[in-house]
Amino acid sequence: MSDSHDSPNFIQYLIKLFYLVGGVLVAGTLITVLIDVTLDMSLGIAAIVGLSIALVKAAFVVAIFMHYKWDKKLIMITWTMIMTFFFFAGMMGLIMWAEGDLPRWGREEVPTIWPVLASLLGLLLPASFTIFTIKMLSQPTAVEAEPVPKPKAKRAASKKK
Amino acid sequence: MEIPYTVKPRPDTGLYNGKLGIWLFLASEVMLFGALFSSYVLLRVGAADGTWSMGLMDIVVGAGNTMVLIASSMFVVLAWAQLKQGKLSGPWSSPRNWGYIQWKWATVACAVIFLMVKWSYEWPSKFVHYDVWFKNSAVLHNKVEEGYHHDGVAHKSELWDEEKDKKFSLARLYVEKEIYVERFFKTYSEEDGGSHKAFNKAWDTGSLALSGHINGYEEAQINVEVTGWKPDAGVSESEADKILLGLGISGEEGVAKRLRSQGGLLKGNVSYDVAKRAEYKLTKSGFSVALSVAGYEPVEAHPYFWRTGRINEDIGGKPRVKSIRFALDASHHEENGEIHHKEITINTADVKRLNSYEPKHSTFFGIYYTITGLHAAHVFGGIIVMLYNLLPIGLATWHRDREQYTNRIETFGLFWHFVDLVWIFLFPILYIL
Repeated sequence: MSDSHDSPNFIQYLIKLFYLVGGVLVAGTLITVLIDVTLDMSLGIAAIVGLSIALVKAAFVVAIFMHYKWDKKLIMITWTMIMTFFFFAGMMGLIMWAEGDLPRWGREEVPTIWPVLASLLGLLLPASFTIFTIKMLSQPTAVEAEPVPKPKAKRAASKKK
Repeated sequence: MEIPYTVKPRPDTGLYNGKLGIWLFLASEVMLFGALFSSYVLLRVGAADGTWSMGLMDIVVGAGNTMVLIASSMFVVLAWAQLKQGKLSGPWSSPRNWGYIQWKWATVACAVIFLMVKWSYEWPSKFVHYDVWFKNSAVLHNKVEEGYHHDGVAHKSELWDEEKDKKFSLARLYVEKEIYVERFFKTYSEEDGGSHKAFNKAWDTGSLALSGHINGYEEAQINVEVTGWKPDAGVSESEADKILLGLGISGEEGVAKRLRSQGGLLKGNVSYDVAKRAEYKLTKSGFSVALSVAGYEPVEAHPYFWRTGRINEDIGGKPRVKSIRFALDASHHEENGEIHHKEITINTADVKRLNSYEPKHSTFFGIYYTITGLHAAHVFGGIIVMLYNLLPIGLATWHRDREQYTNRIETFGLFWHFVDLVWIFLFPILYIL
């Protein structure tokens, strides 16, 4: 978190926000249970509803509890997570490619296009991962939004001490 | 040695090192859990109809535990916010003024509750819950009739469809509509791939399992007989006699020697453990031993982790357990004004497979214990780190450098929120789908 966000007022505001998010998460859990208990849903619908609520909850945890909302200017974290996603998706794509088929949804054969798409993903994602890595590594300096000279000066000063 | 950038951000990354480190670690964790989640999804959608026991979880307990973990996630971030304000400790009596230490202990308490629910209730209650499959579908049909006839009659109006269900018994309809659909399918459906067809197949082939608890069983009483002795094991005659004396034969002159040379009954009517221990000691010192079943004794118990191999272990041509008293799930039996689960007696000769809800039970339980176990291990590790940070050795960092300690708590918080995040997805996947 950058320095401007360290003021006592901001912390007080954060604490209120934390309670609010806690409430949202509890409410999300209750809604999930209530929907499951009261509504008679098929497995597919239940999966969509359950996972959507989980996604919303997860977004709140990452944005507020992990204060990613205020960290996103710090591009390193974003890079790390994006890279992870691509790397992971690429790995999974390769596995599916190697398997050559996908599980049968609802006991029906999957159209041929699915394994083909999976194979393409398996090729494209690791490739894109590699390109992104090279691009990033070839950037000479700071990814931080702050002007470059300022931290350099600080660094020099602290070295003198 | 001073570690650089524990407080000030590193100019090129824009973060203090600990924070970048924990995010890199979380990235690797995403891949670890992501791989398991993907495995789960592939196994789930690839499972044959009626093999994925999704309806067995107690959703109330699961939701309760989710709330506990959400609370702990909130507490840990409140603890960090207090540190950020420079407030290490406050009075226990007024939660409004709690400082870091109070919120952190509250987090630890939540984490401990979570693990207690999981490890002393959720898992152990599965280890005493059994599925039993029969060798013969006729036996299955008889047992369903015996166990669920009463329930079928009681629910007749809800189950019976005059047109379609004429040929089915009420007990069978009860098992299908009240138990099978609930466990393997979310809704009743007569289409292909739906619950009705899957149930009919399981019913006809006898691959349907009955679920319940073991209330008691008849266990073998065993005779241990010595049939000979050879000095193969490098044990001398007098040593061998001593072993026999140690197993409780009379100390009279010549008794041990006669038993060793001519053989004879060593122990009569002893329990399985005693017999097996004697057999082990004897065979180790050169005796040949024959075990035989003298009779069966009823035992009252709720055994953990039983498997087929245990009940039909061969002892001189007879099984170790002759029959089990099985209290069926979702069955009701009134006796002296109290309602019990209906108890049926199952002969082990009819049993094809018996398994508690342990990882070996099925693919579902295999991946269930893998994922929840890995998650629980993370919670456990988190508790250890939190306790370290609360002990004087951890707090020494606070007294030396407040900002460094605050950052340390922030990075721990990031880890803890991730653990919460994993559970947020685990809850709907394991308890609802």
